[in-house]
Amino acid sequence: MTTSTLNITDRMEKQPPAWSRLLDLSDKALAVLLLAPAGLLLSLIIVYPVLRLVYTSFFSLSLTSGLPAEFVGLENYQLMIEDPVFWETTWNTVLITLITVPGALVVGMALALLANLPFRRQWPVRLSLLIPWALPLSFAGLIFAWFFHSEYGVVNDVLARFGIEGVIWFNSPSLAFAAICLTIIWKTSSFMALIILAGLQTIPRSLYEAADVDGAGRVRQFFEITLPLLKPAIVVALIFRTITALQTFDIPFMMTGGGPGTSTATLAMYIHQNTVSFLDLGYGSALAVVMFALSMCVTVIYLRIIRTKE
Amino acid sequence: MHKSVMVGALLSASIFGLAAPAFADTELKVYISSQHQPQVWRQVLDKFEAANPGTKVTIETGGNTSEAQAQYLNTIMSAKDASLDVLILDVIRPAQFAAAGWTSPFEGKDMSVYLPAYAEANTVDGKVVALPAFADSMFLYYRKDLLEKYGIQPPKTWDELKAAVKKINGGENNPDLQGLSFQGKAIEGAVCTFLLPYWSQGKNLVDNGKLTFDKTAAVNSLKLWKSFVDEGVSKKNIAEVATDDTRKEFQAGNVVFAVNWSYAWAQSQGKDSAVVGKVGVTRLPAVAGGEQATCLGGWEWGVSAYSKNQDAAKKLVSFLSSQEASKHMAVNGSLLPTYSPLYQDADVLKAAPWFADAKQVVETAKPRPVTPRYNEVSEVIRTTVNAVLAGVTTPEDGAAQIEARLKRILR
Repeated sequence: MTTSTLNITDRMEKQPPAWSRLLDLSDKALAVLLLAPAGLLLSLIIVYPVLRLVYTSFFSLSLTSGLPAEFVGLENYQLMIEDPVFWETTWNTVLITLITVPGALVVGMALALLANLPFRRQWPVRLSLLIPWALPLSFAGLIFAWFFHSEYGVVNDVLARFGIEGVIWFNSPSLAFAAICLTIIWKTSSFMALIILAGLQTIPRSLYEAADVDGAGRVRQFFEITLPLLKPAIVVALIFRTITALQTFDIPFMMTGGGPGTSTATLAMYIHQNTVSFLDLGYGSALAVVMFALSMCVTVIYLRIIRTKE
Repeated sequence: MHKSVMVGALLSASIFGLAAPAFADTELKVYISSQHQPQVWRQVLDKFEAANPGTKVTIETGGNTSEAQAQYLNTIMSAKDASLDVLILDVIRPAQFAAAGWTSPFEGKDMSVYLPAYAEANTVDGKVVALPAFADSMFLYYRKDLLEKYGIQPPKTWDELKAAVKKINGGENNPDLQGLSFQGKAIEGAVCTFLLPYWSQGKNLVDNGKLTFDKTAAVNSLKLWKSFVDEGVSKKNIAEVATDDTRKEFQAGNVVFAVNWSYAWAQSQGKDSAVVGKVGVTRLPAVAGGEQATCLGGWEWGVSAYSKNQDAAKKLVSFLSSQEASKHMAVNGSLLPTYSPLYQDADVLKAAPWFADAKQVVETAKPRPVTPRYNEVSEVIRTTVNAVLAGVTTPEDGAAQIEARLKRILR
């Protein structure tokens, strides 16, 4: 025991580079050790389920058939390409994203600028920003479903007070779609506003004072100072908003259930229907893989944009 | 008084889970959907507990529509969860549950004691997979007072119904009075909406698991419902109307005719109703030259394949589907009996006089297609009916879509 300790001490004194190499190695080992819990957790709750999803998508696995899972290769994807409802729900999802993300950005920006004004009392403004954000999505969907109800809804009531004849919102695909988009914008713009507000408060007041001295107007100050300095906050907000928009489920599910027909159903609703209602896990997995790929593409594009901007 | 206090105490004790007596060695959990009067079923469960000391039964409720309930049970059962022992199932589901292996079959059960339709609905591939809880079918509810006022007989065909509505609307001149309320929302009820006139033309949808779709009959069915909207017999937002909306509108006195299940009766005679004593219930009309057809409803009791108390659970289900339980539910919950003799039972008829005529209706009611993939069949039909009534799809395109998609499901 003692001799071996002595030996090591001897070697250390004779070969200092070996010790430093050993130190390097143990640094790496330490890093691996420290990252291991996070890595393990991530692989358990993200990597494994995603791989399992892709694996299941190559099988014919339906709990209603009573048959065991059977490897079918790309058959589920083949079915998907021929499935008109898949294309309809995917298109609806893309359309919702294209309408509600810019919509929420514009409304959210306006709300953030408003909340950033020097009010004497800040809390009522901040609270009203937080409430839509804190409301569960399905509650928002249910509340707005009543707002837009053709007989009992407040929207048609207000229209009637202005002498405009009310419409049956959920009877027409385009009106139902508009009602859903309005609800999503209402619900999500406060999230945009919160992130942008945080960004606004990092902009030093002195920049505006200098601009005042130089004679720049309010509009010019917004485009030359506020907007460029807000870009990082806006990009972060856009990434989160776009991904949640691609996964839109709760609000259309509660408001229209996808109707009339399937004209307002989203891809997430179609996945839910195939897995939970139809118990067709193979096909549902294939649909979910497509949604995963869509979200990945969008994230990669945004990350590229940030990198080139830097 | 004393009894109701006792029942109340038992009920609240079971809600808080504190009632477990020291001698209870078997605990059973029964799933009952919240719209099926769990408080009345509780009385039947109390009788069972009294007759079987050592067995304690608790109720879990959830899901107020057939679809919501199916989604919940699908999640529980596909996870092989053992927490539920006995399940209440819509009449359309035993086939799916049997195919998935989620219910335990009953050996050597004599099904001839039940109405034939329910013996059939609960037998899959020669095995008894569930036992009947109660019977049901769709009926035509009508305003007796208004029909009498205008000297109109309850309509035998849909055309007669239209004429009756036009006559009454012309006389009443009340813009809030709707002629006919039915289910146009994309819910399970809309499947029956489609099938009523389809069956009335003598056509079947599925025969021996094979699709026997008749496109002309389907177009006629969709056209008929659309014509009610277009001619102002039904209101324009009928595509938003679910089963309970029909019940509420009728009960508020705003509807002359309504298509609904038997449950609507009890509330139409309740204290919140504007039409007490003014309601008639009869068979649904036929298409011109066709036969009168209605949709078979009702719910069944199944034993979960994952239950750890198979024998006790089966004993409980046998009791819940006994003639004694059926009578209790008919008298106290106005649920249609699954036993033929109960339709002439004096106690039952005292509680719901129209049950005397209901047996013939239930006996001739047609079942919706029996297939493990029923959820998909249902989705195709109900979303198409909804799209046609909203004016998004024409009846011709709708029928073509139903045919194409059903072919894929039932191939």
